[in-house]
Amino acid sequence: MKFTRYSSIVLLCFFLFWSNAFATSLSAGPETSIEEKTETEMPSSNEERPETLESPGSLEMSEPEKTEVTNEFADEEYVEEILEIADPLYPWNKAMYHFNDKFYFWFLKPVSRGYSAVVPEDLRIAVSNFFHNLTTPIRLINNVLQLKFKNAGNELLRFSYNSTIGIGGLIDAAKIHLKIRRSDEDFGQTLGSYGMGHGFYIIWPFIGPSSMRDTVGTIGDGFLNPVNYVRPVETAVGIHAYDEVNDTSFHIGEYEDLKKSAIDPYISIRDAYIQHRKKKVEE
Amino acid sequence: MKKRAAGFILIFLFVNPLFLRADAPLETVKRQVNKVLDVLRDPALKGKAGEEKKKAKIRSISEEMFDFLELSRRTLGPNWRKFNEVQQKEFIDLYKSILEDAYIDKIVAYRDEKVVFNDEKKLTGKTFEVRTTIVTKRADIPINYRVILEDGEWKVYDVVIEGVSLINNYRSQFREILLNNTPDALLDKLRKKVGKA
Repeated sequence: MKFTRYSSIVLLCFFLFWSNAFATSLSAGPETSIEEKTETEMPSSNEERPETLESPGSLEMSEPEKTEVTNEFADEEYVEEILEIADPLYPWNKAMYHFNDKFYFWFLKPVSRGYSAVVPEDLRIAVSNFFHNLTTPIRLINNVLQLKFKNAGNELLRFSYNSTIGIGGLIDAAKIHLKIRRSDEDFGQTLGSYGMGHGFYIIWPFIGPSSMRDTVGTIGDGFLNPVNYVRPVETAVGIHAYDEVNDTSFHIGEYEDLKKSAIDPYISIRDAYIQHRKKKVEE
Repeated sequence: MKKRAAGFILIFLFVNPLFLRADAPLETVKRQVNKVLDVLRDPALKGKAGEEKKKAKIRSISEEMFDFLELSRRTLGPNWRKFNEVQQKEFIDLYKSILEDAYIDKIVAYRDEKVVFNDEKKLTGKTFEVRTTIVTKRADIPINYRVILEDGEWKVYDVVIEGVSLINNYRSQFREILLNNTPDALLDKLRKKVGKA
């Protein structure tokens, strides 16, 4: 959503080119993009598995649980879903990962910190509400595209209520009074709900993790974001930057925590991104 | 006499389902989370020393609440079999330390957000997902606990925050490392992370 209209078109062309190039290269290679595969690598010892493990009575017996750990994966319980995403742009992504990391620590974080020290939380929430209200067209259209007419109606209702009683969107009055919650939908989710896969993983400078599908989605949504129609372009970029700083002020520390908890932050973030997006699409 | 018998039956009818419900996944998670919240809200635990006490108490609750063996096994998935028994034991210990180090500060930093216990959903024969929401001023954060019945107790083996499963996230990292490294090399990485190298 941080695109101006002009750069959106340039990026769209760029993407149409890349997506074609990768679609062909991916379908050719043996290591095609494994979108969402369920791990089926099971031990062959299926028949060796003691019957007792399946009976409810075995729950009281801790013995087989602890001694026969090697047989555990014969149990259907251990078939865990594994999400994967092709990462053919790994060198680029890794470079962008480092770039965004520095951008966050050297610029975004200090600025957001200073900002939140000056601006009280309630005001920052109001700003966040205002921008959220402004992007109603994105959620409205995408709810319709996903045939979620009730949510679309709710978005419309929220917009009219919050724009008036919520003083131009500063207050999420619809949530407080009418108990109508936000229904976050974007074009990436719409494409996903139609069965389109991620394609491949890509990290954009300043914007962060995305995929081919979600980048197309972001560009599509960009056309529905009123901010992108502000002229001159520099002003639109400035508004987006402010929105970003305001938003970051609520999340200072989260990225640090994620990095701290991860063994390999790059992979951790990539996995978190696709897990989170999958949930969003399923909702 | 008849009245009394009827009373007994009534009490039995009422008490019995209540008693059963006490063992339900949602109730178990609720009890444990509330225990943690009680520690966090304890006005007697203030300052630096109080914080350390809080951490120690939360650690001991997490010991009860989580099944770290299950959690470790599921995290490694099929790779678990590549570890021998000694390595598995060490893995569990190191992984536990990493998780505790990663989350304890976050938990202690908790202010006055409300925790709402929504419902429980059956996943498989012996696993459930307990769905909760942390309500903050600005947004609602869904946190789901996945539990498994272990010795008659529901134990947490996974936490799913905003759709991101903890064990799936670590699995993707460990799997990548184990593609080119031995279990020992992975353990070494974890030791370094914990600061035991």
